[in-house]
Amino acid sequence: MTSELSIRDLHKSFDGRPVLSGVDLDVHAGEFVALLGANGSGKSTALRCVVGLQTADSGTITLGGQDINGPHQRAAMVFQQIHLVRRRSALDNVCAGALGRLPLIRSFTPAVFPREVREEAMECLDRVGLADRAAEPAGRLSGGQQQRVAIARALCQRARVVLADEPVSALDPSAADQVVALLADLAHEGLAVAAVLHQPELARKYAKRIVGLLDGKVAMNASPMDLTESDVDALYAPERATA
Amino acid sequence: MTATNNARVTDGANSRLGWLPPRRSRPSVLVSGIVAGLVVVHVLAWQETEFSPGALVQGWRGMADFLSEALPPDLRWKVLGPSIDAALVTLYIGLLGTTLSVPFALVLAFLASKATTSSTVVYQAARSILSFLRSVPDVVFALIFVTAVGLGPFAGVLALIFHNTGVMGKLWAEAMEETDLGPRDALRINGASGLQVATNAVFPTVLPQFVGLLLYRFDVNVRSSLVLGLVGAGGIGFLINQSIKLFRFDQMVTHILVVLVLVVAVDQLSAVVRRRIGA
Repeated sequence: MTSELSIRDLHKSFDGRPVLSGVDLDVHAGEFVALLGANGSGKSTALRCVVGLQTADSGTITLGGQDINGPHQRAAMVFQQIHLVRRRSALDNVCAGALGRLPLIRSFTPAVFPREVREEAMECLDRVGLADRAAEPAGRLSGGQQQRVAIARALCQRARVVLADEPVSALDPSAADQVVALLADLAHEGLAVAAVLHQPELARKYAKRIVGLLDGKVAMNASPMDLTESDVDALYAPERATA
Repeated sequence: MTATNNARVTDGANSRLGWLPPRRSRPSVLVSGIVAGLVVVHVLAWQETEFSPGALVQGWRGMADFLSEALPPDLRWKVLGPSIDAALVTLYIGLLGTTLSVPFALVLAFLASKATTSSTVVYQAARSILSFLRSVPDVVFALIFVTAVGLGPFAGVLALIFHNTGVMGKLWAEAMEETDLGPRDALRINGASGLQVATNAVFPTVLPQFVGLLLYRFDVNVRSSLVLGLVGAGGIGFLINQSIKLFRFDQMVTHILVVLVLVVAVDQLSAVVRRRIGA
């Protein structure tokens, strides 16, 4: 089975301080991988290298079997801070997912987006359960709804890999559950999904595989059923786990 | 003994926790140096501007004579009517000077903002043009254009277009640079070009600030166009200048009262619009 996303021996340092020290990670189509690990363990940096927001010092990143080095249509990212244009409608924000495949003349403002893009964006909004809120400014939606709009934007990008960097850290438990369930559904539909989570219970409930990072290295690669409290302690409080 | 231990001894007696962080006992050398430098600069400024409250007190009689000639204002219609007409011309100079500078300011702002321009050369070139336009006062531009198109409001409009492009372009460029990086990143990673990011993420985010700054500049430009009138660019400034030259200070006060009404009206109008758009 080939990986939709494959990361090999990824290294990255900031000011001489290593953040990634040889990370290997595979995410297959139809798989939802939860990334766990303490702040600074390298989870977000690894994802940011995949979408080109950071440049790795060394290592390879492959999407659909093709080596990449920078932003690529096949990989979309969902952020903790959501990053929608708050004054624009939910629909306009979702349409923006298609910018990479549109010429400027058809995309410099939502008024000139092609009809088929707007229809596709509506379908994406419908997929995340927000078709009835399409015309509302994104800033007026709740945090959970905004995060679902951001996921719809990733769908409108036609990405095959959806990366989520702490997508539910700013949400209440109910909204967090909805968003992670939605990511898991997308994986069931065939996308490769990797999400940084700080909620082991959500990872156990929805993920197909759990990858733990510690000090820039993959320290755990397990099925959710095998994740124990001591595993979680080993990732988040290693000094306590070894005491 | 360390600073923290010192604090434990001196501040700890009344503290529930037994210690407090050490308080800064005296200003740093840097702060002292800055304060001393500011004092020196102000003393120099006082001397160089021949600032003298005594001279003002001694000259009170001259001001009293002036005010006795200026008050009451000459409110006859043959003075007030032309004054209102000229005030409208001043308003039109400010209006056209503002709106016609918008396309130039917009283009230069996009080129001069790190949020929308990746080329350092283009960024520096645009910044330089804006700095030049901003550093030449509108009065100087007006004097230059009077030599080209003659006395009248057209020279004033041209002067405001040039100067306002510099000021507004810089304000807009900085407003764009202050926008959140997140929405830009979100579009950049899906393959959007720099121009697409600018029009789809940056511009809609800063639109309220843009309109607010535009209204603020309109407000400023209406007042500037009054001064431009003094150097021959038409409008009510021209009438004020004429009144002074003819020693008709009562008519000058009439014109100033009309200006006051105009400035307050423009200020209120722009404040209402800015409030409505949340800028």
